[in-house]
Amino acid sequence: MSEFEIKPGLTGASKQLNFENSKGVVRSAIKRGRPTLYTSYETSMQMVNTNTKKVWLGLLILFALSLPFTSSGGWLHAFTLLTIYAIAGIGLNLLMGYAGQISLGHAFFMGLGAYTAAVVAGDPARNALGFGLDLAIALPLAAIIPGIVGLIVAPLATRVRGLYLAVLTLGLLFIGEQVFKTWSGLSGGAGNGRYSAQRILFGIDLNANTYAVGPFIFTPEVVYYLICLTLLIALAILAKNIARSKVGRAFAAVRDRDIAAEVMGVNLYKTKTLAFALSSAYAGIAGALLSILIGTITPEQWNLFMSIDILAIVVIGGVATISGSIIGAAFVVLLPVILRELTQFIPWLSVSSGGLINVFQLQTILFGTLIVVFVTIESRGLFGLWIRIRNYFKAWPFSY
Amino acid sequence: MLTTTASLDQISIRKGSEPFKKPATEYFSRVLIENAQKYPNHTALRFKQFGLWQDITWGAYLESARKVAAGLYVLGIRQGDKVAIQSENRPEWLFADCGSAILRAAIVGLYPTNPIAEIRYLLQDSEAKVLIAEDQEQVDKALAVFDDCPNLEWIVYLDARGLHNYDHPKLISIDELIEKADGGYQNYLAIFDEIDQERTEEDIATLIYTSGTTGPPKGVMLTAKNISFAGHVFSVEGGVFGYGLGPNDSMLSYLPLFHVVERALSVWGNLLVRTVVHFAESIETVTQDLAEVQPSRLFAVPRIWEKIQATVAIKIASASRLKKFFYNIGQRLGKTIAAERIANDGKFNFKAKVLYAIGYPIIFRPLRKRLGLLHVKHSLSGAAPIAPDTLRFFLGLGLPLYEAYGMTENSAVATTNFADAMKIGTVGQTQLWSEIKLDENNGEVLTRNDGTFVGYWKKPEATKETITADGWLRTGDVGEWVGDDHLRIVDRIKDIIITAGGKNISPSEIENKLKSSPFIKEAVIIGDKRPYLTALIGIEFDTVADWASREHIEYTTYRDLASKPEVINLIKGLVKETNKEFARVEAIRKFRMLTKELDHEDGELTATQKLKRKAFEATVPGLVDDMYAGTSAYPGADLGREG
Repeated sequence: MSEFEIKPGLTGASKQLNFENSKGVVRSAIKRGRPTLYTSYETSMQMVNTNTKKVWLGLLILFALSLPFTSSGGWLHAFTLLTIYAIAGIGLNLLMGYAGQISLGHAFFMGLGAYTAAVVAGDPARNALGFGLDLAIALPLAAIIPGIVGLIVAPLATRVRGLYLAVLTLGLLFIGEQVFKTWSGLSGGAGNGRYSAQRILFGIDLNANTYAVGPFIFTPEVVYYLICLTLLIALAILAKNIARSKVGRAFAAVRDRDIAAEVMGVNLYKTKTLAFALSSAYAGIAGALLSILIGTITPEQWNLFMSIDILAIVVIGGVATISGSIIGAAFVVLLPVILRELTQFIPWLSVSSGGLINVFQLQTILFGTLIVVFVTIESRGLFGLWIRIRNYFKAWPFSY
Repeated sequence: MLTTTASLDQISIRKGSEPFKKPATEYFSRVLIENAQKYPNHTALRFKQFGLWQDITWGAYLESARKVAAGLYVLGIRQGDKVAIQSENRPEWLFADCGSAILRAAIVGLYPTNPIAEIRYLLQDSEAKVLIAEDQEQVDKALAVFDDCPNLEWIVYLDARGLHNYDHPKLISIDELIEKADGGYQNYLAIFDEIDQERTEEDIATLIYTSGTTGPPKGVMLTAKNISFAGHVFSVEGGVFGYGLGPNDSMLSYLPLFHVVERALSVWGNLLVRTVVHFAESIETVTQDLAEVQPSRLFAVPRIWEKIQATVAIKIASASRLKKFFYNIGQRLGKTIAAERIANDGKFNFKAKVLYAIGYPIIFRPLRKRLGLLHVKHSLSGAAPIAPDTLRFFLGLGLPLYEAYGMTENSAVATTNFADAMKIGTVGQTQLWSEIKLDENNGEVLTRNDGTFVGYWKKPEATKETITADGWLRTGDVGEWVGDDHLRIVDRIKDIIITAGGKNISPSEIENKLKSSPFIKEAVIIGDKRPYLTALIGIEFDTVADWASREHIEYTTYRDLASKPEVINLIKGLVKETNKEFARVEAIRKFRMLTKELDHEDGELTATQKLKRKAFEATVPGLVDDMYAGTSAYPGADLGREG
């Protein structure tokens, strides 16, 4: 007898004539074309609940898989960066979007993940600490160590909220940066930096070979992109499931009104702590992947700007949506690349400091404007715009 | 498909076709056993529980019916006894029905909104021994009349909520009923078999009380033969739906089950051809249930069709401009499509097909999907005349909607419009294995088929007036032939108005024209032995309220809204428009607003929402006198001689 089984006595329903969970054979003609008729909670709870969605999702994944074979080096780098930022964005979205705890310290946890991976899988012969282990050990640890640090920090964070929490996490960021700078054994010291983890996964050196399978050429960059993409898909599904589980509902309850959530029996302390730990773990993996992509790590890299980049992903993409985080990451990562391409066509836009305005400035202005626009007009971000469009046509020809 | 035999018969009997031999009487209790043996795991019924549609298989259906039968047997129900049930549509209704059928007892359906006085009358008149009451509300009513009903021995309730501290020696739950059978229903199978051996087709299978628009309801006795015939006509190839129904058909059960058509579809037809019947959660959720179930065949009364049309009007009024724009395109296309179809016996000609194809992706498909009519292959309107405008609206949406005609007394089998032979304004052609003729004197419609009832329960006089010596049923409706073999119903004989000037006027035509407006829910034409026609009009609260809020008219209650000068003006315009379509003697000169919604409990409507015309007129003498005395004390308008 499951926990949620409703006892017939309470509902007044007959025990003798009880057909709960009874299933019969029906012709396919009865099933077809009736997407909102549910005969089990499993189907009504399915993540991808309609055939149309299944088809589109499949096409999207196929498209993502085909990208490395159709794009040049610069673009492939951008796409890899996109998947990594998306992982970081999903992590922050769990904390900020779902649990409603603002955090500016996300870059610190990314840094922590990067250093963990670098220490565990770094080349022992180089300038800083390194044990030369496999990525199969380093990547999980890059999630676990920041997760544990998140657990340690969480008790402080659970005591405050709103602006104070933002300041607290900002402080965390600065402390972290200071530690990274001064602990030169770990980081190579301020201004120097260190090499990142070696690309050895399951004993295979990913940098060594280029594979060819049929018409597809798997260069090391392509392989790395595919690894990041796989991780993104896995972590996105995990996050989506967390979000719609009991834990996710508790997050949302805390976000909407923490006192009400507590009255309903949600353990505030536990919930907030879990949100911090989970978010930090996601950040750790993203940080590790990012450092491996770049190859070197400097302590200054994990600063406020990176935190704000991730924040922009969440806000522009859509607060409390997993797909939104991916859309946001695409926007934040690809916009600069596109702008740089545009400099060829727009005379007053330049790559360097000459001209009226340069790419970096324009990008900053655009992000700032968009964050303001989305926060004030559509808090669900780009994804929210999509939802609006979809609902407009879903209700067609009515309005509700 | 249909043949006219007018030339063969001097009194011009129109005969329905006989594409194949009329099936012999099938006993539904045996059919249930057969289905359960052949398809034990196939779904027969579905009902919604906690958001999910739960399946009831044929095996479970039979088992449940037997459980109920065993319990009823222990309570003393024997051949010829009556079991009453007062409940909304739910699977237990069917278990009680089939359970009684196993015992050769007859089921009597009471309507959940029946007030206590009617319950008392129905229980006394039917002499039911056991009453199955749905919930606390119905149990309360039953207990109030228990002592007045000498035949009533037991009350069985289905839903135990709120009943745990009721202490009445004759009140038991459905579980207690089932547990009364010693050692389970299995011990009674031999007895059931024995009872089954003696079954005849003259067994009274059910008592269906007529709505009683003119007097107290009369119990129509339908035999096993009658309901088997009706079940076949409602489900076989060439029957009411034109095509045969089967396991590929999804049905929604939402009209009251004591309505003969709902029984024919949800019980009899379902048993014969194994459709999948979905029980609507409640009458309030029908729209949502329709959208979920998307039935493949649908029967609805005009009131439901009007309601759907009104819902569309309200929702479009608040939709965005773009959506309105596309809807208006769809409306224009729809008008032409409907006109083309009407001109072509209901068929799509090339032009209609092209227009439909244009409108399909932008409006028809999404609209029909939202309304739950996307998969409807054939739908019917019956039980009351439908306004032609409403019919046109749905024909324009591409819906195969046809008007049919029948009554409880002939097991709902008389005429229907077939898919390729529709004539708007008529109720269609004679159905399978049936005959229709008109009385030479007064034009009354007479029908004859195997569905003709055997008599009114305990009312031999009334029976004699209704069934002629050679088996014709007097329907009480005046009809006329249109074309070769399409029947048009003029009105109920009793309703026809003869004005002081001696003109015969059929009020229902005018009323229906008025009611086809989304703003008018009730329209009652008055004028019998009066110098001119007048009307009492009740507004459709939802649509008028919506209209009022868009026009910035403030109102509080139904009464207040109905009395607003702006609303009266709106209605005045509609009445004038209606008057244009009728002759001058048929024009409405004055009307008054009804300031309350008509209701079953207040005695104005029957259980099936039909107007009790005479009784109703007596309840509002002030309004009627106001119109003929030349005063204007009540809200309404006088339109003058020209109308």
